[in-house]
Amino acid sequence: MNLEKVVFGFFVVLAATLNFGFFIGDLGDPELHNVYELFAAVVVNLIATVLKFGDRTQIGAVHLATSLVASLQLIAAAVVWTWASHVSGAGLTPEATASVVSLSGGALFANVVSVVLLVVETVSFQQRR
Amino acid sequence: MANPLLDHWYRLLAGRSRRQHHDGEEQPLPDLAGEQATAGILLVLRRMRVPLIVLILIFAVSVLGLTLVPGVDAEGHPARLSIFDAFYFMSYTATTIGFGELPYPFTDAQRMWVTASIFLSVIGWAYAIGSLLSLLQDRAFRRAVDRRMFGRKVAHLADPFWLLVGYGETARRIARSLDDLGYRFVVLERDEERVASVDLDDYLADAPAYAGDARSTATLALAGLGHPRCEGVLALSESDDVNLDVAMTTALVRPRLPVIAQTGSAEIEERMHAFGSPEVINPLDRFGDHLRILYRSPAAYQLLGWLTSAPGSPLPARRSPVPPGRWLVCGYGAFGRDVTADLRAEGVDVTVVEGDPVPGTSERFEAEALEAAGLARAAAFVAATDNDMTNLWLVEQARRINPGAFLVARQNKSGNATLYESVGVDLEMVRADVVAHEVLARLAHPALMGFLSRVPGMGEAWAAAMVHTLVERCGTSTPYLWRVALTAEETPALAPWLAGGGVPLADLMRSPQGRDHSLAAVPLALERDGEVTTGPSGEEVLREGDLLLLAGRATARRSLAATLFQETTAAYVIDDRTVPSTWLWRRLSRASR
Repeated sequence: MNLEKVVFGFFVVLAATLNFGFFIGDLGDPELHNVYELFAAVVVNLIATVLKFGDRTQIGAVHLATSLVASLQLIAAAVVWTWASHVSGAGLTPEATASVVSLSGGALFANVVSVVLLVVETVSFQQRR
Repeated sequence: MANPLLDHWYRLLAGRSRRQHHDGEEQPLPDLAGEQATAGILLVLRRMRVPLIVLILIFAVSVLGLTLVPGVDAEGHPARLSIFDAFYFMSYTATTIGFGELPYPFTDAQRMWVTASIFLSVIGWAYAIGSLLSLLQDRAFRRAVDRRMFGRKVAHLADPFWLLVGYGETARRIARSLDDLGYRFVVLERDEERVASVDLDDYLADAPAYAGDARSTATLALAGLGHPRCEGVLALSESDDVNLDVAMTTALVRPRLPVIAQTGSAEIEERMHAFGSPEVINPLDRFGDHLRILYRSPAAYQLLGWLTSAPGSPLPARRSPVPPGRWLVCGYGAFGRDVTADLRAEGVDVTVVEGDPVPGTSERFEAEALEAAGLARAAAFVAATDNDMTNLWLVEQARRINPGAFLVARQNKSGNATLYESVGVDLEMVRADVVAHEVLARLAHPALMGFLSRVPGMGEAWAAAMVHTLVERCGTSTPYLWRVALTAEETPALAPWLAGGGVPLADLMRSPQGRDHSLAAVPLALERDGEVTTGPSGEEVLREGDLLLLAGRATARRSLAATLFQETTAAYVIDDRTVPSTWLWRRLSRASR
């Protein structure tokens, strides 16, 4: 067992699960989407991105690309949430909630690609130790 | 990040040309651009992974804690900071900017948490910035950056340049001359201190230098071996093996590129010739030839030394003729053997004194052995061992026993130059000197070598007259050399004369500023149908297709170019006629005729 792989897999999967947890539920209902979950998703995605730095392989490059996409989408979602709840004055309207959640949905897609890559990498791994 | 599949197909398709050998075909060089571009960035990213994750975690924990710790608003109602407020607060606190702007004053519980997070974030930042700074100092990182910078500089060279391998005593002198002649060059040297000294040597043009192993093809490629503006390779490293590798690599990869390589061993010289046709300079061997020239004619020796010295060097003093008689050569290594063979070929009676071989060091000599060999009656004495201290001792002994003898000594280390100077010898063999002259002779002009090899055969009087003419017309600093081909492309203004009876050389050499004066240039050689006339006389009539090698001031070259390109100047200089230069006047003068 390789501890590096454990940490790597843990963060990649956790990024996807947190993202999924925030995304699921009625698109426009602010009650169903906890902002702390969004916060956690942003943080874990950033960590996952940094973990993928400096890998020379082709699969490593795609890994980094998907993570960058997910992070950017989630940060965009966080900015929209901040704007809606702090700046606009109208609070979290169904429209604002919908745009936050759909942005996180885009990130979810990138995270799913990341998990698929992780699985592919694991399956094609030759060294059984 | 090459795609393995594409790479495979590429190899499969490119594999067809594998069999073709180096019959004048240029071979592709390894492409290093992609690898270079990412090496430095990848290193930064990999080393910064842990510090960045620590920073993200500290930030996340601080922000999360700040939103959870209970606080109160202005009216005393319980209120918590939102994630945005907490993020904003941590951003200006953790980066030590400290606005102090808050929605509400903090409660004690919040203050406790903020205190803890301030300490945490300071540690996090210190760690991250410290890692980044130490990475910038890191050797591996610096080398990656240096390599990239060097590769970029070389790739962007727009002028023709020479690739200089090695930056020792000799190479440095060549580099200075290249710079003076207006050539660019790239330096590849193993020793980092020497590479650093390239910057300090203060060249007119920027000289990219890199500390790397010239034996690797990838490094040579990085230094511009595959560059379209690369004029040639100068393998002047102190190591014969490196020079051999460079000569071989160049011959295989770029067969048409000229190579000038130095070596001290005949065996390596032979191996260099096995691949392509490099110009190999063996200073130990060449010195014997120089000695022969001096023996035959001191003026020819002076002329050759002057024409092949660095630009701007003064005219070297003419050496006194070598006294005729028996020579004594001390030390019978590779150098001693070469000198002896060369002298014997010149018809000189040579006695060789071999020392007692001492294991681990050079030969040892006894004063008695020198006397027994007849030093007292010898005309000249050569100290030819590969040890400077032994040579100095030999010279001292020779002077004591035979004060009138002509003394020749081999100097092995450049650091001992002052010792040789204080001992005082008539002729010194300095490796760097010999190589510098030989390289410059090959660099200055391809036609020069053909001329130089003929000079010793012309005799003392001819050489002395040539030196006199050169000094009279061009002054005492090294003349500039160039070649003129009398063809329709290169000398369009001479077309009417070349088509007619030809141009007398003396008339061509008149100055456009006043035809009673001669240009500050001297024709060294005239090549016609493959035959070379050394020092052509003024009565020589030039014809179409002639090649003229000239020596003179740079201003003379510009003046001569005016004669060769402008019909009006040519008419004035050659025939003392004034030809109207504009179309209208030409029409009018033709009408009036």
